[in-house]
Amino acid sequence: MKNKLILFWAIVLIVIASIVTICVKPTKLGLDLVGGSRLVLEAQTTNTIAQITPDMMSSLQFAIENRVNKLGVSETVVQRSGDRRLVIEIPDVSDLNQAKAYLGETAELDFRKPVMKDGLQEWEATGLTGKDLSRANLSTNSQNGQWVVDLEFNGEGTKKFADLTKQLVGQPMAIFFNGELQSAPVIREAITGGRAQISGGDSGFVYEEAKKMVDLLNAGALPVPAKIIEENTVGPTLGADSIAKSKVAGAIGLGFVMLFMAVYYRAPGLIADIALVIYGLMLFALFKAIPITLTLAGIAGFILSIGMAVDANILIFERTKEELRAGRTLFTAINSGFDRAFTSIFDSNMTTIITCIILYFCGTSIVKGFALTLAVGVIVSMFSAITITKNFMHLIFGTGKLQHPALFGLRANEINESYQASETKREKAKFGILD
Amino acid sequence: MKLNIVKYRFLFLAISAILLLPGIVAMIYSTITYPTHTPMKVGIDYTGGTTLQYGVKETISNDKLSDVRKTLENGGIENPYLQIININAQDGKDLKAILSIRTKFIAEGSSDQDKITNIMNKEFSSPELVQVASVGPTLGMELFKNSLIALSLALLGIVAYLTFRFQFDYALAAILGLVHDALFVCGVFSILGLLYDVQIDALFVSALLTVIGFSVHDTIVVFDRVRENLKYYSKKMTFSEIMNASINQTLARSINTSLTTLITLFALYLFGGVTTKDFVLAMIIGIAVGTYSSIFFCATLVDIWEDKKVSAKAAAV
Repeated sequence: MKNKLILFWAIVLIVIASIVTICVKPTKLGLDLVGGSRLVLEAQTTNTIAQITPDMMSSLQFAIENRVNKLGVSETVVQRSGDRRLVIEIPDVSDLNQAKAYLGETAELDFRKPVMKDGLQEWEATGLTGKDLSRANLSTNSQNGQWVVDLEFNGEGTKKFADLTKQLVGQPMAIFFNGELQSAPVIREAITGGRAQISGGDSGFVYEEAKKMVDLLNAGALPVPAKIIEENTVGPTLGADSIAKSKVAGAIGLGFVMLFMAVYYRAPGLIADIALVIYGLMLFALFKAIPITLTLAGIAGFILSIGMAVDANILIFERTKEELRAGRTLFTAINSGFDRAFTSIFDSNMTTIITCIILYFCGTSIVKGFALTLAVGVIVSMFSAITITKNFMHLIFGTGKLQHPALFGLRANEINESYQASETKREKAKFGILD
Repeated sequence: MKLNIVKYRFLFLAISAILLLPGIVAMIYSTITYPTHTPMKVGIDYTGGTTLQYGVKETISNDKLSDVRKTLENGGIENPYLQIININAQDGKDLKAILSIRTKFIAEGSSDQDKITNIMNKEFSSPELVQVASVGPTLGMELFKNSLIALSLALLGIVAYLTFRFQFDYALAAILGLVHDALFVCGVFSILGLLYDVQIDALFVSALLTVIGFSVHDTIVVFDRVRENLKYYSKKMTFSEIMNASINQTLARSINTSLTTLITLFALYLFGGVTTKDFVLAMIIGIAVGTYSSIFFCATLVDIWEDKKVSAKAAAV
C-alpha cells in the first residue's frame, strides 16, 4: 500500500509538472496552422558542376540563410534535407512570389574585358567576380542623382581590379550581373583603391532594382544554381480555421470517448477517463517540452491516439470483468486483468510503433508530423493505461470497501462465486480463468 | 451471447470477397483508363503539379465552375482542374467555399500563378489565396517510390515482428488480413475517385499504414487469446472450439476499441479541418473493415489451415 501511495503522489507530481509546462511553454505550431510557406530548394547540377558536394551545400545554405534573413520575417528556418536539398520555412511573407524569385536567383557578378572577334566586339571573362567583393552599398550619384551600387573589393579583389583596370586604360570594362550587361564604363586610369561603382547605364537604376542587387551581392552568390521543387503555402485564415476546428473536434472526440467509457465500464471507466485526461495533459506537455511542432496532420494523430489510448484500458477491463464472472475475487480479477492483457497491449502497440518509425523515415514532412505524434502518443498511452489506471484501481478497490458488481457494469447473478476483496497475493492472480 | 463464427467460416470468406470485388474492379478499370495508369486517382504529390486554393465568400455553382474553367483556359492555363471544397461555415464566418485549381507544376519565375490570381479576382469578389501546394515533377516520382517503399517496409516489419512473436501461419493470416483491409480502403478510394474525383496524396499512404497497424493490432489481440487458451485447453477442446471461444472472449474488446477510435475519427471528420477530411475518411473505412477482418477473416483463415493440418495428419495415419 505504501508503494502505491508513493506512486500516486508521483503521478500527482507528473500532472502538476505537465500543467505547469503547458502554461509556461509556448506551443510550436506548424506553418499549416499559423500560415506561412515551406519551400524545398534543390541544388542543380550543370555542365560545369557535375556533383553536388557537402561543401557546396554548406555555402548554398549560408547564402540562402542570408537571403531569407533579408526578407525581414522572424522565425525563418533553413535546414539541410538529404544530399542536395534545403528546406526553407518562412512564416507569413507578404509577397511570396517575389520572395521565391529572390531565393532561387543566382547573383553572379562578373567583370569582363572587350575582345575583338571576327570584327565584332565581344566580352571575355576576366576572373574577377562577385566573390572578390567585401561588400556592396546602395548610394546615389552626386551628379545626376541616380541610384548606383557602390562596390568594395577585398584584399585579393583590390589587387585583381587594379591589374585589370591598368590593363584596360582607354577601353571599356563591362559589369555583368546574372549574365546581363549592367554598364560598361571606359577606364580612364588604373583604379587601385579597391572601389568601383555600377550605374544602371544611360537610364539608371530604379530603386528596387539597385536595392535587390545590393542585397543579392551582400548575401553572396549561390555556389550552385538551385530550384524550388516543392512548395506548401497556407494562408493565415485557413490556418486559424484549422486550429479552431481541431479544438472542437478534439473536445467532442474526447468527450464522447469519456462518456462511452463511463457508461460501459462504470467505475473503472471513470478511472480510465481520469487516466485519459492525465494522458492528454502529459502528451501535450511533452509536445511542448521536446518541442514537437504541431501540424494539422499531427493534431489528427494526437486526437486519434486518444481513441487508441483507451484500447489498453478496454482490454484490461474486459479481462477483469471476465475474471469476475468466473468467480475471482475483486483484487485477483484486477491483477490478472492487467497481467493477462499486458502481452496483447504490448504486441499490438509494437506494430503501431513499427509503422510509425517507417512512416517517419520514409515520409514527407506532413507525414512525419503525423507519425511522430502518433508514436509518442502510443508510448505515453501505454504508461497511462497501465501504470496510472492500475494505481488508481488499487487505491480505490484495494480497500475492499467498494465491491458492488454494478460498479463494474455486472449483474449480481453473473458472478459465479465469491466477490470479496480478500485475495491480495499477486501470484494467485495468475491462474487461468477457464481452468 | 455467443457467436458461432467458425461454423460459418466460408460465409465470412464469401462476404470478404463480395466486399473486395467492386473495389478491385474499379482499380483495374482505373489502371487501364487513367492516363497515369494508377489504380486510384493520384494527386499532385505523386504526379507533380501545383494546386492553388482560393477561399471565396460565396457558394459556387457548377455553372460558375465551368465558366471559370473556360476563362482560365482562354487565359493560357493548360488543362486546369477545378474542384469546390465546401466549408461548413459555422458562425457565418467570411469564407463559404474553397475553389481548388490544379495545374501543371508552376516553377518560380512563371507568371501563371499571377494570371490565375488575376482571373480569380475578376470572377469573384476579393478571393483569398488560402493555400498553395506545388510539387516538382521529378519529386512526385520520388514521393511515389518512397510511399511504395514505406508500405513494403511496414509489411515486412510487421511480418517479422509477428513471426517472432507468433507462429508463421498466424503471421501470414494477419498479413492477409491487412492486405484485405488495405485493398478494401484502396478499392473504396478508387470508386470515390471515379465518382467524385477524390485523389490520393501522401497523407493517404499514412492513413493506409495507420489502418494496417491498427488492423494487425486487433488481430494480435485475438491470436494472443488463442495462444493463451491453447496452453490450457489444447487437450480438452478442438482447435475450432478454442478459436471460437477466443473470438467471443475478445469480441467486446475488439468492438469497443474500434468504437472509441471511430468516435474520435468521426469527430475529426465532421468537425475537424477541411484539408484532412479524406485522410480521416480513409482511416474510418480502414478501421471499420479492419475490425471485421480480424474477427471474421483472419481467425477463420487460421482455423481452416489448422483443420487442413489435422486432416492431413489423419490421412497420413
